[in-house]
Amino acid sequence: MFQNFRQAMAWLHTWFGLVLGFVLMAAFFFGALSVFDREIDRWALPATRFEPQPMPSFERVLRPAFERLQPDPALVEAMRPRVDGPMPERFDRIAYWSAYTTHRDPVLAIYAGWEVPGAKNPDEQLYALGTIDPRDGSALRDDQLKIGSGFFYPMHYSLTVDWKNLGFWIVGLAAMAMLAALVSGVVMHRRLFRELFTFRPDRARLRSVLDLHNLTGVVALPFHFFFAFTGLLIFASTYYFPVGHTQLHDLHELHEKHEAAALGLPHGRSGVPAGLANVDAMVAEAQRRWEARGMAGDVGFLVLQHVGDANGYVSVYRAGTDRIALVGQGIHFKADTGELLREDPPATPAARVAEFLTGLHLQHFRHWLLRWLYVLGGLSGAACIATGFLFFVEKRKRQHAARGSQGARIVDALAVAAVTGMVLATLGILVANRVLPEDLAGRGDWERWAFWGTWLASLVHAAWRSAPVARGLPNPAWREQAWAIALLAVAAPVLNWITTGDHLLRTLGQGYWPVAGVDLSLLAAAAISASAAVRLGRKARAAAAAAALREAEAGQGEAVHA
Amino acid sequence: MPDAFLHAATLLACVAGMGWLALAMDVHARQAWGRALAPGAARLLRVLGGTALVVGLLLALAADHASMAVLVWVMALAGAALAVAFALAWRPRWLRWLAPWIGVAVRTPAASAASSRRRSSGPA
Repeated sequence: MFQNFRQAMAWLHTWFGLVLGFVLMAAFFFGALSVFDREIDRWALPATRFEPQPMPSFERVLRPAFERLQPDPALVEAMRPRVDGPMPERFDRIAYWSAYTTHRDPVLAIYAGWEVPGAKNPDEQLYALGTIDPRDGSALRDDQLKIGSGFFYPMHYSLTVDWKNLGFWIVGLAAMAMLAALVSGVVMHRRLFRELFTFRPDRARLRSVLDLHNLTGVVALPFHFFFAFTGLLIFASTYYFPVGHTQLHDLHELHEKHEAAALGLPHGRSGVPAGLANVDAMVAEAQRRWEARGMAGDVGFLVLQHVGDANGYVSVYRAGTDRIALVGQGIHFKADTGELLREDPPATPAARVAEFLTGLHLQHFRHWLLRWLYVLGGLSGAACIATGFLFFVEKRKRQHAARGSQGARIVDALAVAAVTGMVLATLGILVANRVLPEDLAGRGDWERWAFWGTWLASLVHAAWRSAPVARGLPNPAWREQAWAIALLAVAAPVLNWITTGDHLLRTLGQGYWPVAGVDLSLLAAAAISASAAVRLGRKARAAAAAAALREAEAGQGEAVHA
Repeated sequence: MPDAFLHAATLLACVAGMGWLALAMDVHARQAWGRALAPGAARLLRVLGGTALVVGLLLALAADHASMAVLVWVMALAGAALAVAFALAWRPRWLRWLAPWIGVAVRTPAASAASSRRRSSGPA
């Protein structure tokens, strides 16, 4: 089929890239946004615009908040058929209470799980989550859409397709295609190092697009490779191979018991009621022990297992703000006495590699430069795929035009929607967030609809304007949507100013970077997009003038003949 | 504050290193100076470039835990290469600042006309 290896690689690169490129673009673009998901949350939820807080005191703040939590009545109703006997009025067989925070979270997410007496499957638990203000423990609204961590981030890893975890499989497949595309791309590229710095914007369109494709692909090659790879790794361990929980349930259960025994931690409830010693003292002890190891740090994750049972224990994990690895260095205490049960030993080399690889992708560290470099890597990945599309379309456009085929129109319209449309949709949800009334019922859903609606509108617009593509000319939708991006990207910060009073002078003056950073990034996007639109307009006018000249010459020729 | 200083120095070392490596290549030297460099001058730039990248890594290691420093360095290399490539595309003569000891070529009228044409047609 192929004359040589390089041709085979080129085929693989082109078609895998085309089919899964749409997904990859979204994964890279929304991944880049997810680097600052917490900051986008602050922008979208003005009530939460205050400084990040450390893990609050358990006794003063967390305990009352946990005690308030009860499962959602809808969840209780849904579980009722799977329980023998009546559902309790109040759930008090606490399986766990936990709280998780990072150095970028002003609000605190808390979780609770309960065992249900008489449940047909004893493993099935009810759960609840809440959001509190860690300064005073007051409950915050939990029904608002956190656009950064609750929408852009899931877009990044699952396209928000939750049905049967399909989104995870699609994105995982795309990550695999990315790895294949990178390897085949390196094989195809004849002059990887000699043309490392080569970008010739003044050359013919096909050439300059290919230059940009190679440039953005090659310079960030380690980033692209490691992020596709570690993303797959995270998926594989969480979603693709949860064999322990599905196929090997009994064995898994037995293993858990052995593991707990080996670690000196209790497994399951004993049924004997017991109290809860001072948790703040346990946290202080854990912090003292970290300091003694030369790694003083804050608490990132606090878990209380089986609260109120003699087998209860409290685990304190250190926030991984100064390491690539996530939370770790767990220290465990007996809940009723506060006695030390176990201190997690340093990880084995294999575990450390795994921690490094997952931590590298999930980035809980405190390092603003590295965060911005990740954004750059993500955007260059998105640019690499976008220019790949453009190259595909440009290359075929003229052939299709000569044959009178319309095929290139479809791919071109899809490319417009995938590139400018995706940015427009992102801006659409941000603008909707500022325009919709604060107490609108189902506000989060309206915001999601704004996102998908904008995206669909972009596709329709691109298809409607695509006629010139069949004649081998550029689609004017590129330019028009670039103007739309510039407009919306200015509108969003202005609306933020009008609706919250937080204009840039104020946020910059106060040094409140989460909001100032989002506003500045939006304005930068507007500037880049406007300059791209101006340049596209100049090219279009030049092309139109050249076409007019050709026609005029042809007309003159005919006149002479006549 | 010293961390911010070290990070800035890391970025600077990576940009300079990538810039020198690029200028050591004939095609890019022509973009910056309008002529190819003598083999000795190109070799010097290549050595300087390699050294600057190593210095960048050491600076990153001085600022952060090793696991993080390596990531900072790899990503800074990517950013620096992009910056150098865009500079070569739009403002190639800026890169002359990286090697001020290399004299500007005696420009023939034709060459200078070509370069000014390129400049004026380039985007602002």
